[in-house]
Amino acid sequence: MKPVLVESLTKDYGYGRGVFDISFSINQGEVFGFLGPNGAGKSTTIRHLMGFSKPDKGRTFLLGKESFSSYNEIMDKVGYLPGEIALPAGLTGWEFLDMMKKLRRIECDERLKQLVKRFDLDPSGDTKRMGLGVKRKLAVVAAFMHDPDILILDEPTSGLDMVMQEIFVDFIKEEKNRGKTILLSSHIFSEVDATCDRIAIIKDGKIVSDFIADNLRHKTEKNYLITFRDSDSLNSFIANYQSQPYFKITDNKSLPLTIAVDIDDAHVNTLIKALNGSGVTEFHHVRESLEDYFMKYYKEDKVFGGV
Amino acid sequence: MKNIIEFSGVTKDYRHGRGIFDISLSVSEGEMFGFVGTNGAGKTTTIRHIMGFLKQDSGTVTVKGMDAWNQASSIKKFIGYVPGEIAFPDLASGTEFLKSQAELSGLKDMSRANRLIERLQLDPSANLRRMSKGMKQKTALVAALMADPEIIILDEPTTGLDPLMRVAFMDIVREEHMRGKTVFMSSHMFEELQTTCDKVALIDNGKINEIVDMNIITQRPDVQFKIEFNKKSDYRAFLNSGYTIIRDQPQYSQVTITLPKKETQKLFFSLSDYDVKFISEIPYTLEKYFKEKLINERIKEQKYVQ
Repeated sequence: MKPVLVESLTKDYGYGRGVFDISFSINQGEVFGFLGPNGAGKSTTIRHLMGFSKPDKGRTFLLGKESFSSYNEIMDKVGYLPGEIALPAGLTGWEFLDMMKKLRRIECDERLKQLVKRFDLDPSGDTKRMGLGVKRKLAVVAAFMHDPDILILDEPTSGLDMVMQEIFVDFIKEEKNRGKTILLSSHIFSEVDATCDRIAIIKDGKIVSDFIADNLRHKTEKNYLITFRDSDSLNSFIANYQSQPYFKITDNKSLPLTIAVDIDDAHVNTLIKALNGSGVTEFHHVRESLEDYFMKYYKEDKVFGGV
Repeated sequence: MKNIIEFSGVTKDYRHGRGIFDISLSVSEGEMFGFVGTNGAGKTTTIRHIMGFLKQDSGTVTVKGMDAWNQASSIKKFIGYVPGEIAFPDLASGTEFLKSQAELSGLKDMSRANRLIERLQLDPSANLRRMSKGMKQKTALVAALMADPEIIILDEPTTGLDPLMRVAFMDIVREEHMRGKTVFMSSHMFEELQTTCDKVALIDNGKINEIVDMNIITQRPDVQFKIEFNKKSDYRAFLNSGYTIIRDQPQYSQVTITLPKKETQKLFFSLSDYDVKFISEIPYTLEKYFKEKLINERIKEQKYVQ
């Protein structure tokens, strides 16, 4: 059984807004990244998973139970950190945590204490006077104090600084190692890259890419920038290797004496031997970052879409 | 080159360790200066001194040679400013806001504002209070740039924006820099500072930890490569061939080396003898540079001690 399963989910809000025929699943112990700009449908999908909203078509499941009809049965196995946190006014952090504890009917507060310590949270103050980072930590403790099997995080570090991001990344990794199934929606590429096993990109309510993160991290197709010591070396390299089946040479106009080479790892030894004695002075690997990859799906829109 | 913004020994003490302490920095004409640090480190306090909103306890702040506090109103004519937390006045729409801002600064020609609006695909007729974070940020950017100011000050302009907005916003800032504008921008995203700035200062606990010339990051004399071999024997032979190994992963027959760039040719000579599976570069980043210095120890402090 897949702990998280979305089957042809459609919710049409009109005017092209909503989600349309979305399907994906998350395996146990997997961290699944959900990337997309505002309005693409990330939170809508998450709200359906949480059973807050009824699909027009399709179904969503958590731990095999249909979200909308059976949410009560799975509530204590799921933790949800919403993107925008609205804390009740007039309470201290402790009072809020106590309230949540009662709502969740939690008797043992060992995990709660662990989390408070883990996040170095001081819940004694008034929730109204807390900074964004402290509020977020408080919300995390409240969301996960029952030690759920599934963690759903909707932009957990939006607006937070790099130290807080780092703390969240560590937390997500720890939970993964404890076998938890995690859905992380985020705008921060570095945090998705640091934690996710699989990544989906959502655009205009549809999933346009769903891939194993390592396949991007360890792509076998590579792009290198190679600089030569003089134009003679450059020209003779181009002349010798411009027509062979192993790698493709293209001009690089922005850097002097430099070419770009596209090659698959299977042929890297051919390139190495070609470069031996060639007068190469610099060799760089141009990595396609998650951001580059993401932008590819969106750039077309910029070029052809217009207003 | 002329210094446009200059801090010399500036302190503003808010007590309890808060504030900025003995800040000295200078931004020269046409330079893009990045300012990175955690929340509460003093980024906004520093920026407010440039804007003449705050008077330092000691030290001097000048903009184009003028005292930032005493001559604040003259200085504002040269500056376009996007604050970190945008509080718009109580006006019906973005259009009204932009018009009132133009009036205040005596700007008649709105053609530049309109061009920016088009670039950012902003609908300024929208209700100011109903605007999303991204729309507010875009409106504030239009307001800051419509008079074509010489100096652009941005306080965490991309925090909370989605990736598409971030790119659209930064494209415009980068263009202004190309046009010769002096830009001072705070952020907590290293990537965006690394690809745009000429210099980046790290502020921590109200003190400047270091000011890095980005050339130090991009023009390093050394380069790091990760090399994996198809044969264990090749891996072992390479291990003993005199390269500086910074990471060794025998289980994958993989090594990471650091190499002076000028020895690149020699590396290919050595590798020609082996059966290489792949070679990739470990990029050196601003984040890495600062992280080693700052973040790790900070996390250690915050981390739950078992």
